[in-house]
Amino acid sequence: MIKSYFDNMVDGIEKSLASGDASARKRYALSVARLGSRLYSGKDKVAWCGVTAPFDLLNSMGVTSCFVEFIGAMLAGMGAADPLLGKIEDAGYGPDTCAYHRAVIAAAKDGMMPVPDFLVATSAPCTGGLAVMETLAREFSRDLFVLHIPQTDDPDSVSYLADQLRELTDFVAFHTKVPFDMEKLRAASVLTNQARKLMVDAYRLAAAKPSPVAGKTLNNFGVVVALLLGTQEAVDVCRSFRDEFARKVERGEAGVPGEKLRLLWIQNRIQFKNDITDYLENEWGAVVVADELNAVTFGPIDPDDPFPGIARRSISIPLNGSVDRRLENLLSMCRDYSIDGAINPCHWGCRQGTGASAMIATGLKAAGVPVLNMDVDCIDRRNFAPGQIKTRLEAFIEMLSENKGV
Amino acid sequence: MSGYFLGIDIGSLSCDAVIIDKSGRILSASVVPTGARNREAIERATGEALRDAGLARDRLAAMISTGYGRDRVEDRTAAVTEITCHARGIFELLPDVRLLIDIGGQDSKAVALGPNGKVVDFAMNDKCAAGTGRFLEAMARALGVDITELAEMDHGATRELTLSSMCTVFAESEVVSLIAQGMPENEIVRGLNRSIASRTVSLAKRVCTDPTRSVVAMSGGVAHNKGVVRALSDFLTTPVNVPPMPDTVGAYGAALIARDRAV
Ligand code: SF4
Repeated sequence: MIKSYFDNMVDGIEKSLASGDASARKRYALSVARLGSRLYSGKDKVAWCGVTAPFDLLNSMGVTSCFVEFIGAMLAGMGAADPLLGKIEDAGYGPDTCAYHRAVIAAAKDGMMPVPDFLVATSAPCTGGLAVMETLAREFSRDLFVLHIPQTDDPDSVSYLADQLRELTDFVAFHTKVPFDMEKLRAASVLTNQARKLMVDAYRLAAAKPSPVAGKTLNNFGVVVALLLGTQEAVDVCRSFRDEFARKVERGEAGVPGEKLRLLWIQNRIQFKNDITDYLENEWGAVVVADELNAVTFGPIDPDDPFPGIARRSISIPLNGSVDRRLENLLSMCRDYSIDGAINPCHWGCRQGTGASAMIATGLKAAGVPVLNMDVDCIDRRNFAPGQIKTRLEAFIEMLSENKGV
Repeated sequence: MSGYFLGIDIGSLSCDAVIIDKSGRILSASVVPTGARNREAIERATGEALRDAGLARDRLAAMISTGYGRDRVEDRTAAVTEITCHARGIFELLPDVRLLIDIGGQDSKAVALGPNGKVVDFAMNDKCAAGTGRFLEAMARALGVDITELAEMDHGATRELTLSSMCTVFAESEVVSLIAQGMPENEIVRGLNRSIASRTVSLAKRVCTDPTRSVVAMSGGVAHNKGVVRALSDFLTTPVNVPPMPDTVGAYGAALIARDRAV
């Protein structure tokens, strides 16, 4: 079912690109669909991974890899998560845990995920994810490599993780029977740096007033594009966003005509079909112009010595480390994007995210940015109460509009 | 600008209508049970308010609807959330209020107001209806009394009993077992009031870290329950002001917004 979903998606997008719809979002969707298609092709070497895995390193070693939460999100987007979540609860998995993970375990048990060649777990962003990877390794009877991601960006932590990455190359080579090639990683690092630079430019353009983005333009982009790092595909996708935004900014063209309020979305988007962003845009001119996870929090990699740079990238992601660091990043986004208000969908079961929500709200409010904490489940539609969500969103936007006088 | 302004608040338990003139004076207010059919409740509340004001429908210049059923009012000028409407209503009635607590049928809210009456921050209960009007309704049922009787039933109670569960269904069975154990009714009701208050106070503190430094008020139907207001005041360690007709504050605010927008 998932294989044909990706294959059909590739066909559909290729046709629409051929017929002239050359939007950057389409281009990006095509790359993601192609990746999905390769994961399910049965031809590629495949690794299921944690969110902060070094995808450029894996790509350079010829492994098609993906973090498992992507599958949870995709199932929710297809409207296929609910029955799986029900099934896994029947099997005794607690409904209080993160539904990204419950959906993945259910999909694996239901034979909806290809058996990988190996798995690479990461201790960040959450220990729940690590437990899921251990469960999957047992389910698939495949070897698991665990990357322990330190929480601070200091020389000792970076070299500790860089050493693990070097060990990972041996582990991968052992399972693929293809030796590690430093030249290939050097070339992948150059491509990562190119994509990174284009991302920085694209985000800078997205911050223009009015913003060239609509709420859905960069939906899930930052997390998912990481899967393509180290490839030309990532560079092309990032370039198409950068060019599209540059064109729009030059013409003064808004992603949403009549932009009135600029919103920051914290952590994950809601993955199943919902009309929140449309509603905000159409009814209120309120546009999600920035996502916490669409930020370049890492520096370029030294192609001649790539491991420390890759390590630093994994350490730098917003959900790793102290809440203070996360808050610092959010505050600078609020300044850069001239944010009027932030929405934090406190995802049911995410201790990592919701545990920080009070500190984040206090910190942003102290800086004059009102925050709406919404109790939602980004994957499990059964925990979604549209009427209540709408009232909270509407009241929040009324408050922002009143205070801004728009 | 000529004519009158109607605010209508369709909550899960009651549907309230308030008509004001252009100076903001309340001409009439009606409160009817919402029941299963929103449209009938809207018609009835509007009809009663028009009748009591001695007005024909065509004298209404504008109408704002609010409450969870706000989008179901067909001839509305606009729909505005209950947070904004309650804030507007309380600002007119008690302009010094900086923290408003509203406990309605299925939602409770804490709203922080600025000196100009604008909403500065708000928090609402999560998806659970515990600690709301519905909760009290279920507890009255468990005690076998009318909900209006609950208001004074805590008199003479002194124990620090707090119901262990805030889930409406579990709390109902806890009440039943307390009755079976011979716990005096006034103590059980005090325990219920304390449970609601403790839950509501944490909501209030999310938007106002030190309520003792703010003027606090309560609106919504549950504000008629003096026991809950007392418990809230004890937990907040500050007086809680209740305006006359607290259940119509939202509808009054809606009518005022209708008037403000027409000016
Ligand atoms: S939502 Fe939270 S618990 Fe779920 S995968 Fe992300 S960080 Fe982990």
